[in-house]
Amino acid sequence: MAASIPLSLRRITSRIAPRARTDLEIVLLLYIPILAMLFGFVAPLFIVVVEASKMDFRELTSSYYIDLSSEAFNNFITVRELPNMIRISVNGFDLGVIGNSVVNALLVTFIAALIGSTTAILIGLYRFPGRRLLAILAYIPLLIAPFVNAYVMQRYFGKSFTLNTFSYVLSEVTRPLIGKDIMIEFSGQAGVALAQILMFYPIVYINTLAALGAIDATLVEQAINLGARGWRLIRSIILPLAMPGVLAGSTLVFILSLEDVGAPIIFRFHKVMAYQIYQYFQSVGSEASRPAVAALSFLMLVFAALPLIVVRRYLSLRYYARLARGAPRPFRGLRLGRRGLAAVYLVVLPVIATAAAPQIGVVVLAFSKKWIGPLPELLPLDSMFMNFATLTEIEGVMRSIYNSLSYVAQALVFIALLGFMAGYATARARLPGASVLDILSSLPLAVPGLVVAFSYYVFFTTYFQGSMLDPVLFPAHVLVLAYVMRKIPFTVRSVFTAVIQTPEELEEAARSLGARRARVIRRIVLPLVWRGILAGLLLSAIYVLSEVSVSITLGGLKGSMVSPDHVGPITFAILQLTTQATVVAGGTQPHAKAAALAVILMTIEAVVITIASRLARRGQALVTI
Amino acid sequence: MPFIEVKGVVKRFGKTTALRGVDLSIEKGELFSILGPSGCGKTTLLRIIAGFEIPDEGRVHFEGEDVTDMPPDKRGTVMVFQNWALWPHMTVYENIAFGLKLRKLPREEIDRRVKWVLELLGLEGFENRFPGQLSGGQQQRVALARALAVQPRVLLLDEPLSNLDAKLRLKLRGELKKLQRQLGITMVYVTHDQEEAMSLSDRMAIMRDGRIEQVGRPEELYTNPQTLFTAVFLGRTSLVLGRVDDLHDNKAIVRVGKARLRAVNHGLGRGDEAAVVIKAEGARLTAPHDLGSYETVRGRVSVSMYLGPFIEVRLVLPGANYEVLLDLPSDVTPPSVGSDVEVYVPLRNLHAYPVEEEIVREAMEHT
Repeated sequence: MAASIPLSLRRITSRIAPRARTDLEIVLLLYIPILAMLFGFVAPLFIVVVEASKMDFRELTSSYYIDLSSEAFNNFITVRELPNMIRISVNGFDLGVIGNSVVNALLVTFIAALIGSTTAILIGLYRFPGRRLLAILAYIPLLIAPFVNAYVMQRYFGKSFTLNTFSYVLSEVTRPLIGKDIMIEFSGQAGVALAQILMFYPIVYINTLAALGAIDATLVEQAINLGARGWRLIRSIILPLAMPGVLAGSTLVFILSLEDVGAPIIFRFHKVMAYQIYQYFQSVGSEASRPAVAALSFLMLVFAALPLIVVRRYLSLRYYARLARGAPRPFRGLRLGRRGLAAVYLVVLPVIATAAAPQIGVVVLAFSKKWIGPLPELLPLDSMFMNFATLTEIEGVMRSIYNSLSYVAQALVFIALLGFMAGYATARARLPGASVLDILSSLPLAVPGLVVAFSYYVFFTTYFQGSMLDPVLFPAHVLVLAYVMRKIPFTVRSVFTAVIQTPEELEEAARSLGARRARVIRRIVLPLVWRGILAGLLLSAIYVLSEVSVSITLGGLKGSMVSPDHVGPITFAILQLTTQATVVAGGTQPHAKAAALAVILMTIEAVVITIASRLARRGQALVTI
Repeated sequence: MPFIEVKGVVKRFGKTTALRGVDLSIEKGELFSILGPSGCGKTTLLRIIAGFEIPDEGRVHFEGEDVTDMPPDKRGTVMVFQNWALWPHMTVYENIAFGLKLRKLPREEIDRRVKWVLELLGLEGFENRFPGQLSGGQQQRVALARALAVQPRVLLLDEPLSNLDAKLRLKLRGELKKLQRQLGITMVYVTHDQEEAMSLSDRMAIMRDGRIEQVGRPEELYTNPQTLFTAVFLGRTSLVLGRVDDLHDNKAIVRVGKARLRAVNHGLGRGDEAAVVIKAEGARLTAPHDLGSYETVRGRVSVSMYLGPFIEVRLVLPGANYEVLLDLPSDVTPPSVGSDVEVYVPLRNLHAYPVEEEIVREAMEHT
């Protein structure tokens, strides 16, 4: 074994050396991003493992972390009948920090997969009146309005002194019928699950839709020709062919649910791994909790990796390339039968409308004075833009916008450079390490942002103390690096897809006429693939702008919004406005202000995603993180 | 000194070995074809000569200079690809001028050369068109023009005509041959189309499974195939198995079922198992004057089809399960299926070799 390592190393170098002599550029294009990813991503993650090993893992088996006793479901649902009201409280379970995170993520993933894939199959395959409306509605939850959307969900379904919106509408029906109001409240784990399902199911939807678009029409037509229709057609042909998309989307939902900290904050459900890690940054310096947080980060990493390993075959970059390559004629011609139509109008449409409701609620809130009772109190028409206009008056908001724009600009420079190198080299370099880069550059999609934040904090405070990369001294530098690493996969994937769709002979023809690789890239590759690259860059940009996990942790290292040199970006400001209202905004209806800020963010997202989709040639899944 | 020399080249891709020790010499001004079935390694060999692949073992020399580790852009070779690889974002002029600009030629010289190749290939007036606005044949000519404009040391062609329809292919084949004569340029031409290789080449190599089977002039290879594979691969052939009964001069007498066939002997001894390859052409039903240079094949007709230029018959040899494919001139009455016939086959069309299982199996499947 020991002897075989230098032997295989020698074999690898013997393959690289001749290429370095004939084509040094491709060697650099491949190994520079590998080194960058190893330093900027793998090394910090490795530190989490080292830190976690200091923890006695038996502590994690205490009932605080895992509670499988029968009491875990004691408060799952309680129904109380009052003289003029039936009060139904859905709390969900309490299985301890780890149990809650994992079981909740599984539940959310399962339901999101069900809704997402059903919607995608209906919209992608069938023609029925209202299909376009459904398609547009299904995209809305993709616009990220962090924290405020969970806040609005809380207004709709959460615990409240008065009726929440849903109960308010419901009671208008029940009062004349049974003489009582019905109050349905979601709180704790149930609230978190509800919010996450509605926020994340579009990820399954959009991935499934992309997979459906790649199915060649002849495959479906052949099945219909042989007599398959309805459920049999879906089960035997459509679903298996679209399964890579369903699985890719579901895996991402699982990871997102694990790492989501917004819904747990808003629904005050703190016994989840994500919140525990987040809390570490609220009291940085209390190093006593560090091994426990490291252990939780390590576990989160493992849980996130598990489904990826299971469905790995479907999730590599190459899969996306195969999806987009060639031009299969997508199938869009089935008519829905009566039962199908009933399912669409009675089940799917209401679900999707509900999912779009938080975003719609955020927009309404942005034009409201406040939202305390069941319905928001709208601003008068002459001052309807007041929340936007007064944003500038809140200390720290303009700075957060400036921070965000500055981070996006800095991150994009690195993402463009490294992303192009990695995407191009993955497609073209037939050298040892190309498949490693393929895995490395899609890895960040699978690593929860909070784990990245924690690993960065530990790694850079330990090994780069006092340097430009010390997060305590220069959190902005580390923040930008984290953005680059987390959001680079979108650019790498776009570049890879664009390059692989371009025949390699076009480059070889130029090389054989005497052009070196650098010139081939400038004169042949870039003019042919710039649209794909730009689309990827725009996506990376938008996801940097709306990034949450790293932004609210590393972004808070220079204090809250009111501190004069705070380094938090827009999402950090939205969190502070939503949760620490009295501190940061002096009680001047900060939720509405947060909503206004979120609407600005959503508008930018909508515009950029539209441009990016037009630029990308076809069939690329726009996955949000 | 050969113009291009390939010595002991081995190339592996992961666990597959594409080339297993290839030696080859190509002379200056020659049109040299590499012919073989798909997957035999011919394109890999061409790409190694071009410099796109680096061999794991062995060297490549151009006029005595070792170019094995030289980048493709420094070798002076230019490749024409199967899909022509025209840059869709450049006009015909820009495509052709690309290589000339890289060589930093003055503007007037670039104009002159582009004009020259456009005329040479009959593409005048197409300068400002984009590749997407051209027909297949025109695109192929532009690819050729782009390569010729830089006046390369060697022109490498990877099945450049295979994407065209049959008629156009024939026309361009003739043009290519004429052009090569006119310019005296060294060309290495990869193809799986034997007719193309034979009609174009000064010399050609037959490749199989990463190795060179035989190198020579087309007529040499066709009339005197040295290996079983070359014999089976070139022309319309059938293969039967038997045992050597006797040896006579350079002929082997092979017993196949109840029949005895005389065939040119390629290294067989008495009692050896033999694979006899029979070329279909030149067969006749009437006895020729020089009967001595013919072999009589008797059998029962299992297929008899009129194909225009000739009649294809298949004979089942008595006592054997083999079918022999023979082409009769189309001016005779086609023999009826089930009848027993005698067919006279030129002796030069029968060759006997030691049995190679894999080739025999494949040949049987394709007959």
